[in-house]
Amino acid sequence: MAGSDLAKYPFLNEAGEYLRESSFGWEELDRPDMKYIIDRAAERIEIEVDGKMIYDNLERYEIEILTFLISLVIVKSIGIDQVLRKFALAEARRAEKFLTEDLRKQSEIKRRSVFTKIFEDLFKLKIVISEDQRLFKVRVVDYVARASHFHEQEWKLINRLVHNGYVYLDADETVRLIRNELSVLIYDKVKGMTLPILPQGIKSKADQLRPKLLSRYEWRGSAGVTDYPPCIKHALEVMNRGDNLPHSARVMLATYMLAIGKPVDEIVLMFENAPDFNEKITRYQVEHLSGMKGSRTKYSVPSCDKLRNENLCFATAECDSIINPVQFGRRKKK
Amino acid sequence: MREILISAKTISVIKKVFREYYFNESKAIEEPLKIEQREFGYMHFGQTGMLRHLSFKSMKELDAMLVREAPSDVYCSNAYYRFPTQQPMQEKQWLGADLIFDIDGKDLGMPCVPSHSYSVCINCGYVSSPPPERGEERSSYSCPSCGCKKADHVSIPCSKCIDGSKKEARRLMDFLLADIGVERSAINIYFSGNNGFHVHINDDACTSLDSQARSDLVGYLSGTGLMLESIGIRKTNTEDLFSIKFPKSGLTYGWRRRIAEKLKIDMTSAIKLKNIVNQNGGYSAFKVELDRLAKDMGVRIDPQVTTDVHRVFRMPGTLNSKSGLSKTKSNDLYSFDPFVDACLLGDGKLSVRVKTPVKLKLKRNSFNISKESAEMPAYAAVYLMCKGLAEAN
Repeated sequence: MAGSDLAKYPFLNEAGEYLRESSFGWEELDRPDMKYIIDRAAERIEIEVDGKMIYDNLERYEIEILTFLISLVIVKSIGIDQVLRKFALAEARRAEKFLTEDLRKQSEIKRRSVFTKIFEDLFKLKIVISEDQRLFKVRVVDYVARASHFHEQEWKLINRLVHNGYVYLDADETVRLIRNELSVLIYDKVKGMTLPILPQGIKSKADQLRPKLLSRYEWRGSAGVTDYPPCIKHALEVMNRGDNLPHSARVMLATYMLAIGKPVDEIVLMFENAPDFNEKITRYQVEHLSGMKGSRTKYSVPSCDKLRNENLCFATAECDSIINPVQFGRRKKK
Repeated sequence: MREILISAKTISVIKKVFREYYFNESKAIEEPLKIEQREFGYMHFGQTGMLRHLSFKSMKELDAMLVREAPSDVYCSNAYYRFPTQQPMQEKQWLGADLIFDIDGKDLGMPCVPSHSYSVCINCGYVSSPPPERGEERSSYSCPSCGCKKADHVSIPCSKCIDGSKKEARRLMDFLLADIGVERSAINIYFSGNNGFHVHINDDACTSLDSQARSDLVGYLSGTGLMLESIGIRKTNTEDLFSIKFPKSGLTYGWRRRIAEKLKIDMTSAIKLKNIVNQNGGYSAFKVELDRLAKDMGVRIDPQVTTDVHRVFRMPGTLNSKSGLSKTKSNDLYSFDPFVDACLLGDGKLSVRVKTPVKLKLKRNSFNISKESAEMPAYAAVYLMCKGLAEAN
């Protein structure tokens, strides 16, 4: 694997090997020339957690590998799970962008090596180049295991070109298939890290970033969250992890938030960790549920009975005998 | 679930014949793969509810239970569990599940069904024939004998019904082989024991699929959710207007091929396709037409069976209490005759009181019974008693 690949895909095992081979040690991070890399890592985190842009500046691979490593350390040190989720998802999107470009531009041999490495080694997903070399093929079983969790109708198997056990996809689609797994890979990398005593430069950068990033998640602060019924808390937890939340749970979450008077803007933000988040679509859907758009019908919060049937109920003793999640809040306020 | 009230005497006779089958034909019961990881369940004649969460370490243990209990129906999970007997479900620790499909003859809407169907009163067992049609008329049923409003509607499937189910099974095979890429050797087809077929896929790659992934497969196989865009009809922003732009990947395979062949179009037929859509009333109206076309061309399978990864499913080789026939593997659908190949009960004579004139053909013998009391081979007597059309004398 070339150095330029490691710059784009610093989560690969080869990047770790490079660090080992170059006898990299934590104490080196206190060297003055490391300030540039630490600042770069902080910038990367800020941009990525903000979620509006993909951080796609590319420098020499030696710098990129270190920037990635330091950003992992800073995120770990910040210690806010939502920040980590957001960062992991953004890193996945960054890799997705480079992968798509690589697949579109590079020669067949290059394509194959990038694919074999990232898809097969990391995600046990075998990719085959189609007979006419224009498309990529994944096994039907591998496809449905991933794409059945996407909400858009176009991802349904029936809307794909399927033949002889394979689904035919273009570069963007192939890479989109593994976005969640890439994100989980980076999340797990950070979760599994044991931090040494941090060099001062990194520690102060993390301390500087923490309050800044924390303010973004204030609405998830303890006062609000503890008042939510367990079904809503569970949905928020899933959403904050960046995991996929079923459509019915999204409807529950949005209608509940509307019912307790949350503004649409805030509700839209609650969905920003969803793997398939699209602000425009989410806003329309929330406004639709609120009766502002479409049929002009205001949707009510699904009953506890309905939620039980859909396996969305996580009742606790505190639920008492309520029949709708909105009653949970009211009862507690009395 | 069967609701007919069967007399204690009839139950005792059927049970005796079932027990003989399990005693003499234990080789017909197919050992499930990884038996120790499966959950089993069974039902008793005349009782509601299933005994579930059972486990058998070997076929010997299972055979002993079958002879001892002579159950009405026996089920085995499609799932593999670390602890199959634990409850609730999450305590079992799911390890995977076989991919299964259920083709039920009664869901195919065969036109011949009314001519060989009966209403059996669940209160007194009175048989009237033919039953009212589905829907409102059926709900207005009233037993001519006791006035009870509830009946079980039973059918003696004819060869046309079986051919209808076979056609669906073959269509499912085509999809599985040509599109999904399942190996022929991994596909096992069984007659359900009454009026349909069960298809089991023995492929490790499928066992880890979750319910949502299986649901996506069901959508594909049954022709549900096909977008017009998939065949190149793209909606524009203006209401009901559309343009034709064929997908880059072509129309050569899968559903795109099926629809293209049906509409007689190819990648050069943009104008023809535009005309077809317009003739059907525009984008929205053609969407309805495409849904209908795809549904007709898809396979009629029970989606709940395939998407349920914790299901207990009728066990191959065991008897079906709706007929006394066995769930039997079919190696060649063309030559398979369930009324011969799955009719495995004994020939000993039994005397029964038949409640309605009835015709049937089992083990190549035709029975045309018009008198009340009749003596006939056990396999035929049990068949009629299981259907609720006869009682033991």
